[in-house]
Amino acid sequence: MYQATNISFRIRDKIILDEVSLKLQPAMFTAIVGPNGAGKSTLLKTLAYEHQLFQGEVIINGKPVQKYSPKELSMVRAVLPQNSQVQFAFSVEQIIQLGRHAHRTTKAENEKVVGEVLTLTGITSFRERSYHTLSGGEKQRVQLARVLAQVWEETVYPRYILLDEPTSSLDIAQQQLIFSLARQVCERNIGVMAIVHDLNQAVQFADQLYFMRDGKIMAAGEAQSVFTKANIEETFCCRVNVYHDPCNNCPFIIPERGELGGITSEARLTINEQ
Amino acid sequence: MNALLTFRESKNTMIIMGMSVCLVVTVLFSLSIGAVSIPVKDVAVVLLHKLGLFSAIESDGMHEIVMSSIRIPRIIMTLLIGSSLGISGAALQGLFRNPLVEPSLIGVSGGSAAGVVMVIVFGASWGLVTDGLLYNSLLPIVAFGGGLIATFLVLKLSNQMGRTNIAVLVLVGVAINALAGAVIGLAIFYADENQLRTFTFWTLGDLGGASWNKLIIAAPLLIFSSASLLLFSPSLNALALGEAEAYHMGVDVERSKRIIIFLSALGVGVSVSLAGMIGFVGLVIPHLIRVLFHADNKLVLPASILGGAWLLIIADVVARTVVSPAELPIGVVTALIGAPFFIGLLMKAKLKNEL
Repeated sequence: MYQATNISFRIRDKIILDEVSLKLQPAMFTAIVGPNGAGKSTLLKTLAYEHQLFQGEVIINGKPVQKYSPKELSMVRAVLPQNSQVQFAFSVEQIIQLGRHAHRTTKAENEKVVGEVLTLTGITSFRERSYHTLSGGEKQRVQLARVLAQVWEETVYPRYILLDEPTSSLDIAQQQLIFSLARQVCERNIGVMAIVHDLNQAVQFADQLYFMRDGKIMAAGEAQSVFTKANIEETFCCRVNVYHDPCNNCPFIIPERGELGGITSEARLTINEQ
Repeated sequence: MNALLTFRESKNTMIIMGMSVCLVVTVLFSLSIGAVSIPVKDVAVVLLHKLGLFSAIESDGMHEIVMSSIRIPRIIMTLLIGSSLGISGAALQGLFRNPLVEPSLIGVSGGSAAGVVMVIVFGASWGLVTDGLLYNSLLPIVAFGGGLIATFLVLKLSNQMGRTNIAVLVLVGVAINALAGAVIGLAIFYADENQLRTFTFWTLGDLGGASWNKLIIAAPLLIFSSASLLLFSPSLNALALGEAEAYHMGVDVERSKRIIIFLSALGVGVSVSLAGMIGFVGLVIPHLIRVLFHADNKLVLPASILGGAWLLIIADVVARTVVSPAELPIGVVTALIGAPFFIGLLMKAKLKNEL
């Protein structure tokens, strides 16, 4: 289990995370939703131990994150940042091979892993191509493949991947593809956490859902049961209506248009402040 | 699939082997050229003698002396400096994820130069030795020290919450270089005619002062820095995706960063102390390799060693021969050969949208 207990993080006097607790289960998809500036990315970076100056506790598979070396940490968790830029002209396969950086496995084993993640993400046909020549959706799949290559092999301990808005700036087909890949990955005893922008997608794919606002967890639990009008309006300061989608057998929301797009007076205040 | 991988790896090996062969041929060729022309056959014989082989074959006594006291130390120095500049450039470009970085940018060259100039100009009045083995070992130490201090300052000042901020680092580098420039200017102001001439030649680069004495101290340092940098090629590959990404993939980023900068400062500092400021090699060679082959640092780093050495040897041959018996400054030649070639490759890469 990947567990954060009462973690707080501040930059000077500004509190970014305020006593956040969360649990990631292996083989489960956990989605984090919340408005811009809620601290979602900071939470992800703190969980990944990229931010090291936090209060509270992060424990991965029973061991505090501070006790892991960077190398050991890379064996249990992989991270897909919001946008990765590649400076030099690497090929797709070279990028994915980087995910095997810290592994002490043979070339043949690495090749097998790379082949499998290439197949899963459907990019085998352009393994030789230069990363720079790919479209946004293809790049994102390459990055996902790299992240998967890092934690692909079955191990006695569960592994985790943390995805920071993996579908931003992708079209819907690409978005659906990325999320369904993430779901498939869960079957390998990998716990998936993703920051998700689209609430409907979050509830469609996630097992667990966390609502976050102003550095705090507003609501958390089994995805469909916490996906309520009250939780969403409270978190996003925007009036919405929740309906049921019989096709996916899951709820979905439509925001109210109303005056000023249905955002509450409270939200209007914060937006004006910004 | 496996065949494909083996193909790529054997391709890397072939590139490295091809470059090595080119380098060896160039070395033999360059040993035979000079004020006294020595046939390549004799060059080979003398080299074999030096290795203690085939001592039965006769060689010309004068050729042997010219080779062993002048040309061999010079070519060894050229090889080592070229390779250090090449690999340091490649490593720093990889580390800073910026293809425009060269060793001078982080203050290494400036700091080393300032240190050396101070010793050249004020050494005597400070009561330091001005000749002999001790002096020869003093210059590399001062150059390395100067380079390290400058680099350390740049690193310290660009530190932000325990991480190095690359944007700040580049700006601080500019400032530190300006400071080093001021120190050099000040030294020039106090220098006499003779020192001024030494210094001017030195800033343009000069391989003429090669001797076994200098190499005893410098060679192990240069070999150590280049060989150790090679070990970082996998980490540099991971760093190509970004520092956070490299950390996620298990690279101890801060530690690698410090060691790579230290080793580059060592290589470049010692090179500067031996031959002055030789520009362009560290910038161009890694680029050439990336454009000609690919960006994998497992190839770029070793190939930059060979390429840097190769470029500098060619440049040295040109410098020694075109105005013989005088010599052109080596820095002028590296730029004259390298710049047009580089521009040509850039244009080609731009057309193919590979940059």
